[in-house]
Amino acid sequence: MSKILVTLNEKTYEISFDLPAPGQDRLSVQVNGETVLVQIPDPAAPVNDHTWMLVDERPYELLFDPDLRWVASKKGLHPVDVRDLEAMTPRHRSGDGRLKAPIPGLIARYLVNVGDEVTAGQPVVILEAMKMENEIRAPMNGRVEAIHVDVGETVARGTLLVEIE
Amino acid sequence: MFKKILIANRGEIAVRIIRTCRELGIETVALYDESDIDSLHVRQADLCVRVPSPETFLDVTTIVQIALAYEVDAVHPGYGFLAESATFAQKLTEAGITFIGPPAEVITAVRAKVKVLEAVRAAGFPTVTHTGDCLDVHDLPTIQANAARLGYPVVIKSCRGGRGRGERLVHKPEQMETAVQRASAESRAVFGNGHIYLERAMLPAHQIGVQLLGDRHGHLIHLGEREGSIIVGNQKIIEEAPSPLLNEAQREAILAAALAIGRLFNYQNVGTVEFLLDGTGNFYFSEIKARIQVEHSLTEMITGIDLVRQQILIAAGDPLPWAQDDVPFHGWAMMCRLNAQDPWQNFLPSPGRLTDVRLPFGPQVRIDSYIYTGCRVPPNYDPLVAKVTTWGRNREICLSRMKNALADFLLIGTPTNLPVMQRLMHTTAFARAHYNTDFFTKPPVNGADSEVTLRDLAVITAVHFARRHQMFNPTTPARLQSGWHKDSRRLPE
Repeated sequence: MSKILVTLNEKTYEISFDLPAPGQDRLSVQVNGETVLVQIPDPAAPVNDHTWMLVDERPYELLFDPDLRWVASKKGLHPVDVRDLEAMTPRHRSGDGRLKAPIPGLIARYLVNVGDEVTAGQPVVILEAMKMENEIRAPMNGRVEAIHVDVGETVARGTLLVEIE
Repeated sequence: MFKKILIANRGEIAVRIIRTCRELGIETVALYDESDIDSLHVRQADLCVRVPSPETFLDVTTIVQIALAYEVDAVHPGYGFLAESATFAQKLTEAGITFIGPPAEVITAVRAKVKVLEAVRAAGFPTVTHTGDCLDVHDLPTIQANAARLGYPVVIKSCRGGRGRGERLVHKPEQMETAVQRASAESRAVFGNGHIYLERAMLPAHQIGVQLLGDRHGHLIHLGEREGSIIVGNQKIIEEAPSPLLNEAQREAILAAALAIGRLFNYQNVGTVEFLLDGTGNFYFSEIKARIQVEHSLTEMITGIDLVRQQILIAAGDPLPWAQDDVPFHGWAMMCRLNAQDPWQNFLPSPGRLTDVRLPFGPQVRIDSYIYTGCRVPPNYDPLVAKVTTWGRNREICLSRMKNALADFLLIGTPTNLPVMQRLMHTTAFARAHYNTDFFTKPPVNGADSEVTLRDLAVITAVHFARRHQMFNPTTPARLQSGWHKDSRRLPE
């Protein structure tokens, strides 16, 4: 039995169900005391951020962001928070001080130097991509420990740019 | 009439131009670079030529050489890149090739943005307040003094600009230095020129453009107005025609002003006269766009006139087939721009592979795009991946078609602004047309979903979470788990 607490648009739902066995396409799910039937159209397909399912007779086509902080329906964009009550640990949030290139691009310039104090959300580096100058912001408060890539270099997505301690 | 046309552009507008060329029986030559070979225009053209230059679509010399080598009669520049380059138009004309757009001298005249503002004011039309000339980006004291004279907030604009590129809004003097650097750098990256000027910002405002159509024989007509006030950063994302804001008297005044301003510059081919409107309905001229615009599909929907066809025919010397009173206006049109920009990461560009694309269809739904399942959105170009235009007898029908079209649209693989667009269409403010340039400041959340839907979304989120977790940490079936440690190492009794 899996017990999961989902907070969506600031409302919390307690949801429990038996984990589906491989190939199982129907799940009976308890949500805040009610029972709904979830149909997974193709249980053999890989699980990815875009999914569609039936809840009772209602079809939903949804898009999750990769960190599962948002879910997009056809009518709205909803912030979510998911906790696995069985594991009793909040899910991992990326929040370490390693600033990586979120998109491929060209390092236009740095707005900080090694040793500078930065606050979370402060623009740290300008990455040029798609003919636009994009501000990449500090993920947390701290001090700039290292700058790894020189100005003018082209970086791939995920390249480590700056370390903040 | 032309037999062969080179399209000096890419993406959806190249696809759009090729379509009309096919209808007219004109052969097409497309350009591409290796990062952009997936774009649909490359395989739709009769010939496709790789631009062997790092400047690609901005390289005047190379493109003129290609036009000569492939013996084309004319070049269509699309929008952006060389669309408003008088040098390009001039070089082509010297090479005996027709530039599909206004003549070089008209481009030069309307591109001198500050001079245009002065000429329009002299002719008796109100204009936005601006600095006198292109400013030296290294002369910060002069820039600061000019900004102080105009009064904050001010907008930094590129002297060559367009499509919001190289624009920065500045609220305080201390933001000026960084903003000037950024605006200038962006302008250089996009237009190959970093000169800037300042305008007093109107916040909030409405942006209205009037479509003009003029032939080489002195006929100039308008094809109505478009409103594009919903912007993210500096880029328009939702546009509609006609403007829901104007009453009939205002509309008449603004259309007449646009025609008079066009005549001041002897305007030819397609172009747009842009105005800003303040909250009380006063309008101020801002600039002339000497090109086909991204949002031209709106005008095509409400008039039934193919603007690209008109561009080609006018460039070939044909007279306009209509007088002003012959232009039919009917119904309402809306257009949404879907961009590869990540709404979950502050609208950072998100190039990458689109692993799944499903386009909407249905009556009066028009898609302009270069994408398909499996194609790559290149990192070096504009993030626009698709335009959705819908038409209806009135605004309400048009809006409901747009809601449906966006709901049926699927773009998977790399993040896009689609979820945000879907949400915006369901806001009451948009339904009532209560919006201005301040409408979109952050991604709107908490959509129009019902209680049951929200509960179902939570259920799906939980199931999705569990399945994802299961995929990364496959569970051992219970029968194998039980007793392994206790029993398996024990010797049989």
